[in-house]
Amino acid sequence: MKISLNWLKEYVNVPEGITNTELISLIGSRLVEVEGVIDETHKYDGITVVRVEKAEKIPDTHLTLCQVYDGSPELVQVVCGAPNVREGMLAAWIRPGAIVPASVHEAAPFVIGKRKMLSKYDSNGMLAGADELDFGDDHSGIVEIDPSMAKPGDTLADVFELNDLILEIENKSLTHRPDCFGIIGFAREVAGILGIKFDSVSETVSRNSYENFEASEPRDDGSERAWSRELESDFITIDSDVCSRYTAVVLEKHGELGKKYLTLQDTRLAKAGMKPVERIVDATNYLMLLTGQPLHAFDLDKFIKVGNTEKPKIIVRLAKKGEKLVLLDGKEIICNENDVLITSNDVPVALAGAMGGESTMIDENTRNILLESATFSLYNLRKTQMDHGIFSEAITRFTKGQPPYQTMEVALECAEMLKDGFKIAGIADNYPKPEESNVVKNTTTEINNLLGTDYEKDLIIQTLTNVGFQVNVSTGPAAASSPAVAGAPSGVLAKKASPVDILSIESPAWRTDIHIKEDIIEEVGRLLGYDNIEPTLPLHRTAEKNASLELKREIRNCLSMYGANEVLTYSFVSEKLLEKAKQDKKNSYKIVNSISPELQYIRQSIVPSLLEKTFLNEKLPVEKFAIFEMNQVYRKEWGVTKENVPVERNSLGFVVAERKGEGTAFYKAKKYVELIFREMQIVAEYVPIKSKTADTKPFEPKRSAEILVNGEYVGVVGEFKNSVRHEFKLADYLAGFEIDLDLVLEYRSNKKEIKIGAKKTEDLTVATTKSYAETLKEVQEKYPEAEISPLSIYQAEGEEKKNISFRIAF
Amino acid sequence: MDEVLKLKSKLKEINTRARGISDLPVSERAEFGRKINAEREQVLAEIKAVEQVALDTEVSPIDVTAWSGVNEAMPEFYPVTFGSKHPLMTELDRVIDIYQMMGFDVVESRQLDDEFHMFDVLNFPKGHPARDGYDTFRTEEGLIPPAHTSTMQHRVLKEYKKRLDEGGAIAVVVPGRVFRNEDVDATHEHTFYQCEGVYVSKDCTLSQMLGILREFFEKYYEQKLNIKTQPGYFPFTEPSLEFMIEKPKSLGGKKGDFLEMLGCGMIHPNVLKAAGIDPEEYHGFAWGGGIDRLAMLRYGLSDVRLFESGNLNFLREFSL
Repeated sequence: MKISLNWLKEYVNVPEGITNTELISLIGSRLVEVEGVIDETHKYDGITVVRVEKAEKIPDTHLTLCQVYDGSPELVQVVCGAPNVREGMLAAWIRPGAIVPASVHEAAPFVIGKRKMLSKYDSNGMLAGADELDFGDDHSGIVEIDPSMAKPGDTLADVFELNDLILEIENKSLTHRPDCFGIIGFAREVAGILGIKFDSVSETVSRNSYENFEASEPRDDGSERAWSRELESDFITIDSDVCSRYTAVVLEKHGELGKKYLTLQDTRLAKAGMKPVERIVDATNYLMLLTGQPLHAFDLDKFIKVGNTEKPKIIVRLAKKGEKLVLLDGKEIICNENDVLITSNDVPVALAGAMGGESTMIDENTRNILLESATFSLYNLRKTQMDHGIFSEAITRFTKGQPPYQTMEVALECAEMLKDGFKIAGIADNYPKPEESNVVKNTTTEINNLLGTDYEKDLIIQTLTNVGFQVNVSTGPAAASSPAVAGAPSGVLAKKASPVDILSIESPAWRTDIHIKEDIIEEVGRLLGYDNIEPTLPLHRTAEKNASLELKREIRNCLSMYGANEVLTYSFVSEKLLEKAKQDKKNSYKIVNSISPELQYIRQSIVPSLLEKTFLNEKLPVEKFAIFEMNQVYRKEWGVTKENVPVERNSLGFVVAERKGEGTAFYKAKKYVELIFREMQIVAEYVPIKSKTADTKPFEPKRSAEILVNGEYVGVVGEFKNSVRHEFKLADYLAGFEIDLDLVLEYRSNKKEIKIGAKKTEDLTVATTKSYAETLKEVQEKYPEAEISPLSIYQAEGEEKKNISFRIAF
Repeated sequence: MDEVLKLKSKLKEINTRARGISDLPVSERAEFGRKINAEREQVLAEIKAVEQVALDTEVSPIDVTAWSGVNEAMPEFYPVTFGSKHPLMTELDRVIDIYQMMGFDVVESRQLDDEFHMFDVLNFPKGHPARDGYDTFRTEEGLIPPAHTSTMQHRVLKEYKKRLDEGGAIAVVVPGRVFRNEDVDATHEHTFYQCEGVYVSKDCTLSQMLGILREFFEKYYEQKLNIKTQPGYFPFTEPSLEFMIEKPKSLGGKKGDFLEMLGCGMIHPNVLKAAGIDPEEYHGFAWGGGIDRLAMLRYGLSDVRLFESGNLNFLREFSL
């Protein structure tokens, strides 16, 4: 949302001495995030109001040779191509050297100089059209300025308040504040921040037109109307679950809506990012920007015709599934059951809150207007917005939950703005359950206790009443809920008077977001400035370590110390990756709204993601590396927890790869596994693979081992199946492991046996056909007290027996 | 291999038949093409399966109980100069250390959760537009890879309520990986890390929240800092604020240069109530902020995508 500071200041008297920068900074720290500020203080430099004194057509061209008066004695010659240029009119003249405003934000702003046209006419600067001034797309002619507003020589910026700063507001931070989506509501907050009482006179829009209109007077041609001043009660039927109030004002044409001059309204619409188009639409848009209440204008005669009734019959209801409606932009939508429809005698004519229908749209022949000012359920409109992809300024406001209190006033103000062409011929209002007043009770102590402040009662009351709250003070017994306890920090809680003043705070109609004490406390804290609250530190107990995080940290330190690189990869993987790793996709949770097929499944183990990154790194190329990741994994087969959410396990994946490696990669991976287990004081056994869990799927059973601790499976280490390696396009030297860290955590031990003193060592070689483990067992039986470590395995060519060598330390 | 040859000749035969398409009337060609392609795909898949089985049977077994291969040297670790910790994890550890020093327990966040913890119990009304701001992913079961670490708030409150009964305070931080369904570019990732903080006690105030957050950042940047706030909106806190710090000198900050660090606020009474904590007796505050941004600022990185790239040219920049 864009907010013009000049327009804002019309509703708040900013005290002298507060600069714009300070004001914007205050708005940022006490109301809403200001994403950016567009500086337009020089956008209209060098543009002057001039009177066209002479205008002569240049023969055989569309051009006119003009002499203009800019307040200085000499007339200036300008060639103008616009058809509407004429003697006596006031126009906007861009002086030579000035920048064309519509191009200020372009890379190369357009500067008008002194030119020669048709090689003989000097032309100084230009007379500007609305598009060149950045007031919309109108290129049909130059703008004309109302002589009652300006005289030749005035600068355009002064006449139309164009030296302005435009605030770009982050809408998300106002999700709960529909009232701030109008200039008036925004200004009320700014007043509150400045400690000024917001002037209630300027906040209500005109009621004059309602008081003064005479519907009973006969038409000019003497015919009777199909409606009367007080429209019948069945004029409007609403489903109050989705539409809390529907106000309709009928306007009847009595003259042409002229549009001759550039207006302040045009420039304000443009500054808010809405292009001025024509009088009726502009009026509804302008009021929406001003009050936050969106309006819609139907052609009443078309409305009645569509419904095939004599009198207008408005019915607001939920759509039926599959119901069709052609919108203003010509697109046909198919409705869902949650869409809200405006119907004429049950025939859909508009998608409520989102867009009007083509069948009832106003055009230049419109004689009677049905002006809608209503509020709809934000929940339904939010779904409509998503389902149909409509993100207009109007629906943006409705989905914040516009309150119903002002629909009538805004509609009547719109009528007032159009009164030179239309007069009110009927009014109806269906408001079955008027909002009840909302009172929250608070005490000064409660407010100060939550904020950690020492604000006086009167300051709190003043702060709240400044923005429209009404506060009544009564005296009650000391609040039992006061959290003051013995030994609490002094200062904050010390002032506890008995009896206590209870503040009964009534919210204004536009504050639908206030329900509980804390909402009021937020108002006080915010309006008086959180930055004025002194930071303090509470004292409390010491923390405990998180064993799982601690384990990961130790592994991280350990593996990186031994040359491995920690990586992070996405938790989401592709169906293809699961296939390549031979994992069953049915065992993975599937994302239904994934960004791409690459990110469709939640991974079952870490290693497949690492294999993908191995390919990337071999390609770079990195000659040799070991990568690892510790992260959470999920498998459907694990079921759910007591909380009914999927079981989650922490897993460590590791892959070692060399582009031209020699030897058996398995043993390198195993060496890293054992490094971790040694660090954790865990004794692990490595046995041939029997388990068929998801993590073992990519591993080659003949060259991999299950890792057992106390006989329990904790992971797998090994080389990968040739087919897997081929699918991932990886070099031969490749191995890895996957370990369940939650189990490692269960078995880890922190006691470390330290043996001091020099040890006697002896090497032993055994010639055998048995496996290493079996041989080791035999050696251990012989030397039960000794520490035995492997040295080498040698097998001469053609020999059946291997020589397995050990080092034995006593 | 015989089987492969058989399948290959079958493929040849299919290809021959496929050429016959030009003799067919135009109206039948599409249907014919579809059928023949399906057949071809089928045979290709069979060939692949057979070849894969063949590939996998080629291998010779090894002694998995040993520590080196036959006639091979004992394997060596890579040199320490190769190794590196992931910068995000280093940063996360640093953050956790400071909070622990300040007396906060640590709980890790889940990576797959449900609507109840992500929204319902955090005071988001059902179907409320505020839920859209989080751009969540969803699984077929309606589960949610969490979009914020606040998904753990309810659990933390319930689990640590005992501290309140003992007369103390709940003080917990929750680091974890979170997910948002948004397009990836230099400053946006769909996968990133956050750290949540939760504090509840009898006499806690907004002033204490500001104190703790300032203390954290002063410890983190090892210097005194100016702080600033602006109003925010989160359904689960009331009041809600955005917390900013003046850009530290170590990051080349100038006076008046503020960085948005995190969202925070006083825990909404409904959130406390849902965890069985009486909001009349206890108050709390909570905050949550991104870790990726801290790491990017510290290392002067401009592309968030590097973190999950797995690219060793990047990661080895962080070697020991």
